Amino acid sequence: MVEVLGFEGIGISAWLIWMTPFIGAAFIPILRKRSEKIKSYVAVAFSIISALLALSILPLGLSNGEIHSQIPWFSALNIDAGVLADPLAIIMSNLVAWISVAIFVYSISYMHGQRSLIRYWFFMLFFIGSMQLIVLSDNLLMVFFGWEGVGFASYALIGFWYTDRKKDYVGKEGHTAWGIPQWTSPTHAGIKAFLLNRAGDVMMLSGMFMIFMYSGTFGFRELLADQTWAHVMMQQNLLVPAAVLIFGGAIGKSAQFPLNEWLLEAMTGPTSVSALIHAATMVKAGVFLVARIGPLFFALSVFNMNQFFEIVTWVGAITALLLATQAIVNPEIKKVLAYSTGSQIGYMMMALGIAGLSTNFVDGYTAGFFHLISHALFKASLFMAAGAILHTVHSRFMNDMGGLKKNMRKTYIFFLLASLSLASAPLITLGFWSKDAIFASILESNYEFSSYVFLIAVTVAIMTAFYTFRMVGLVFFGKPSQNVVNIENKGHRIREVDKIMWLPFAILAIASIAFGVVGFAFEGQLHHIFATYLASSFGITEDGVVPLEGSEALQSSPELTESDAAITGGSEQDSLELNPFAVVSSVAAFGVGGFLGYLFYIKRIADPEKVSDNVVSKALWKFLYNRWYLNSILYWMGVVIPLAAYRRIYKYFENILMYGINPSVQHSMVVMSRVAKAVQTGNVQTYLYVFSAGIILITMLLLS
Amino acid sequence: MIDIFSTPALVTIILGSVALLIPILDALNKERGAKNKVYSAISFGALALALIVVIYRIFSGENLPAMSLTNTGVIGDDIFGAFFSIAFLIVSIMVTVSSWSYMKKRSNHAAYYSLILLSSIGMILIGYSTDFVMLLVAWELMSIPTYALAAFNKKDPISNEASIKYFLFGALSSAIIVLAMGIVYGLTGTTNIYDSIVAMSQLNPDLIPFGLLAVGLFIAGFGFKMGLVPFHMWLPDTYSGAPTTVATLLAAGTKKAGFAAAIRVIVIGMIALNVHWTFTLAIIAIFTMTLGNLGALTQKSIPRILAYSSIAQAGYILIGLAVAPYSDYGLDASLLQIMNHAVMKSAAFIAAAGVIITLAGYTLEKYKGLGFRMPITAFVFAIALLALAGVPPLSGFWGKYLIFGAAIDSGQTIWWGPYLAIAGILNSALSLGYYAWIIRKMYMEEGENRVRQKEPKSIVAVLLFALGFMIIFGIWYGPLLDLASMAVPNDLIHLISAK
Repeated sequence: MVEVLGFEGIGISAWLIWMTPFIGAAFIPILRKRSEKIKSYVAVAFSIISALLALSILPLGLSNGEIHSQIPWFSALNIDAGVLADPLAIIMSNLVAWISVAIFVYSISYMHGQRSLIRYWFFMLFFIGSMQLIVLSDNLLMVFFGWEGVGFASYALIGFWYTDRKKDYVGKEGHTAWGIPQWTSPTHAGIKAFLLNRAGDVMMLSGMFMIFMYSGTFGFRELLADQTWAHVMMQQNLLVPAAVLIFGGAIGKSAQFPLNEWLLEAMTGPTSVSALIHAATMVKAGVFLVARIGPLFFALSVFNMNQFFEIVTWVGAITALLLATQAIVNPEIKKVLAYSTGSQIGYMMMALGIAGLSTNFVDGYTAGFFHLISHALFKASLFMAAGAILHTVHSRFMNDMGGLKKNMRKTYIFFLLASLSLASAPLITLGFWSKDAIFASILESNYEFSSYVFLIAVTVAIMTAFYTFRMVGLVFFGKPSQNVVNIENKGHRIREVDKIMWLPFAILAIASIAFGVVGFAFEGQLHHIFATYLASSFGITEDGVVPLEGSEALQSSPELTESDAAITGGSEQDSLELNPFAVVSSVAAFGVGGFLGYLFYIKRIADPEKVSDNVVSKALWKFLYNRWYLNSILYWMGVVIPLAAYRRIYKYFENILMYGINPSVQHSMVVMSRVAKAVQTGNVQTYLYVFSAGIILITMLLLS
Repeated sequence: MIDIFSTPALVTIILGSVALLIPILDALNKERGAKNKVYSAISFGALALALIVVIYRIFSGENLPAMSLTNTGVIGDDIFGAFFSIAFLIVSIMVTVSSWSYMKKRSNHAAYYSLILLSSIGMILIGYSTDFVMLLVAWELMSIPTYALAAFNKKDPISNEASIKYFLFGALSSAIIVLAMGIVYGLTGTTNIYDSIVAMSQLNPDLIPFGLLAVGLFIAGFGFKMGLVPFHMWLPDTYSGAPTTVATLLAAGTKKAGFAAAIRVIVIGMIALNVHWTFTLAIIAIFTMTLGNLGALTQKSIPRILAYSSIAQAGYILIGLAVAPYSDYGLDASLLQIMNHAVMKSAAFIAAAGVIITLAGYTLEKYKGLGFRMPITAFVFAIALLALAGVPPLSGFWGKYLIFGAAIDSGQTIWWGPYLAIAGILNSALSLGYYAWIIRKMYMEEGENRVRQKEPKSIVAVLLFALGFMIIFGIWYGPLLDLASMAVPNDLIHLISAK
């Protein structure tokens, strides 16, 4: 294990990875008067520099090295600022950096001719900087700074088209459920996302500070090195609550149940933003946080952290199911993708939670992170392709598309490739292998309810395949819709988007297949890296947790010598075997869901509307289309009723009480200020009098 | 006796020679008054060189003492002096650079820059003095040029009034300082500061009242420059009447020199006499903060608001001095705040100077809609005001945070410590009443004139520097605090107060 400390050599690039985009963001406004091209190229250049810096430390990460460099920050509180580039952070950082580059290049064409490009590029760069800060920082406090940064960038970019033109809305106009409108303007969506994220952030902040109160540090490494804080917190039954509160931040950021409602409205932003922030990177920050702190809490397994991991598992499972069901009925392409994003992140959470409930932590951990990687690739690709389609047909509804296969050949092919990965077509797609790994880890865990989790996972997989094929079918197959015909009648032929636009998503789609072909070997490699990483940094091996060398960890087992052997021997035992049952169920899920989707939407043997024309299906459809009424409940409980209550409070408390008190405070201050001014006569005689009186008073005070 | 290569000597030589050179150059020049830019650039160069010398000496590896009191000479080469010199030099640089624009349409440039440099030498020497006589000489060297500078708009009666008031009280306070020094000399028989500390701590109990009288006179004499209540009366009139750049020098520079002298003499020197004297400082601190803030609350003119606010700020800094014997970082915090305040207050005054040049007015009404009319000036002004109010994460926050923290800490030994913190926090809240009011005027109201103005370049440059300082040292205040801690002779304070 290579370790680089401090600023020297390669250590500086770990700092620069997240600083470069911030510098770029500060630089962009200077180009205010330059042409659009220069603005875009400069922004792309900054993202490429950051990505190259990330690439420069990739070999270190793959060889299980790490960079840990710290400088004093708040010396009064003994808090250091630092970067911690361990294999987890390095891989994530590269993923974020290179997907950003692809999406930045795509943006050049997608945002062509838009107003306020400066604002767009500023926030995009600001976003990457904050995201890399989350990934690379070595303590929870800096993570939180990045956390707020991405939240802010997300808010600003969701509401990018702040003039609220009707065409930038999401949802069908006039669609209400329980009296709450289900269609939203960009500004409204931005605020909604910001507020729901705040709910998570408040939880995270309180969890962080609870731990800080007992440990006196935010650092990941410091928390692991001296575990007495965990012991004290356990005695007061605060350890699991604190961990769950931190997870609350992840719930908010990753749009998991019950804070899932913001992600769908977030689709009001430009599609490039949806691709970068609301599919490939920012929503993964929650998963990354769990991956960051999960091993820490697992290493504390002496204190029985099972409840924490159970909560993670079930939040993931419920979200996966909840959002997959809704994706089936939604008519908007971006919203289907958004639902699917939330649902797939549910899978990742599920895997990370299950990891903590198994003896073999690394399996589930690898599966969760593997799915993160594969999802980032294919979902970014899908979003960008969807953006290309939106760009062409000027509508977000899938029944305004249809039959685009003919005219948008390239988009069709790459969209299909990425879709196959989402639907997890067997053996050749990255999505298949990562989902299979999750299935296997669920099956192999010794969690008592793992069979239920598995059932949910398979159900979701069936639905995923179904809605993926539905989407592909509605967009590319069948007859061209009225809208498409209208566009063509007006003389605008539907044709392929330009090269700058299709190349980025083509590359990502091909990558998800190319890695998919060698998916199993890829997974094995990842498994190996994480097994070594977890063993060397956290002492987590296949045989449970062993104390690290030189750490003051509370010892769980007395057989230290035996465990030491496990560390050294651990890396050889981490080979991966296929779980046949997982593979079979994965293939079956694809088969069932995919076949149904194929029949109804591609082959079109029957009109889905006619098939579902009965009372039960209609009620079900309505229930799903109204988002399980969760959004309505959220608005009633979170907005309408509190506002009504607040109006009361305002009327009686604010209007009568406070408006009685406030002016008197103000008046008394003003009167006192007048007195102070009146003393200031401007006459030197007065001044001299006060001066001499002062000397006498002070001397008397001293002598008393 | 004085090492020619010690920092204070080098700095004196650099600044002094330039200060004398400028009037000579002007005399040789036939065309009078057209060389503003040249003189400004020369003075800037000299000050920057001096700053480099000071900073280099701190980090050059020579082990400088925190405060060289045992020195038998009149000037010590120590980090305490260096710390204050950095503050003074930064202020002087900001003043000279902004004068590039401010003095453009005025006369007598040579004298102006020369006087600023001479005053800077005085301030720096105060920071380094280890002897009462040297201190007095430096004090006068600092003060006398500023009397002339305050009256620099010689046809403006307000400027003259400002100068006369300033001069009267300056003369009075100098006399009081000399009197206090005389008493100390009479009691101890030495003019060296350290020797008199030692002698004071072994003073005959019958003579202690005389020692305390000397302390009281020192507080009055130095308190005049610091703007402590009740020695502050001249201050609002002078700061608002003097040319705004000169007011900057007074508020951010000479005021800090008062603190340097106060720490050297009163705090360090007189702990020896009786530790309980600090209660007096605490009471002065509370009155100073409150009166400053109350006075500022209903003013209409921006320089006057800033003048009162600088009285209030002196109160905050004084808290750190008052709790110095009881807290480990009271003085560190005060020094940090002194450095921060030097930059924040300079930024605010210089922004006001920019407005005066461009809009020819200093009343609050003129600031309506400034956010649009002069965007950079208004933005930095707003940030400086927020920093003065102590809003995190700006640099002013950390100074206040540490000062109040030290006051609360000191509650373990003295009952009144936490009350100082409470008074300070309430005053900070009160001060937002006028700081936020100005920001509101600038950004949320529109004046009659909505034309965007060209902002004076050199002032913009100074303001951007200050902006960077306030934000960078707000997020990462570590280096500043480390430097401040290096300058505080903690062991000395403990040693003396233990006696």
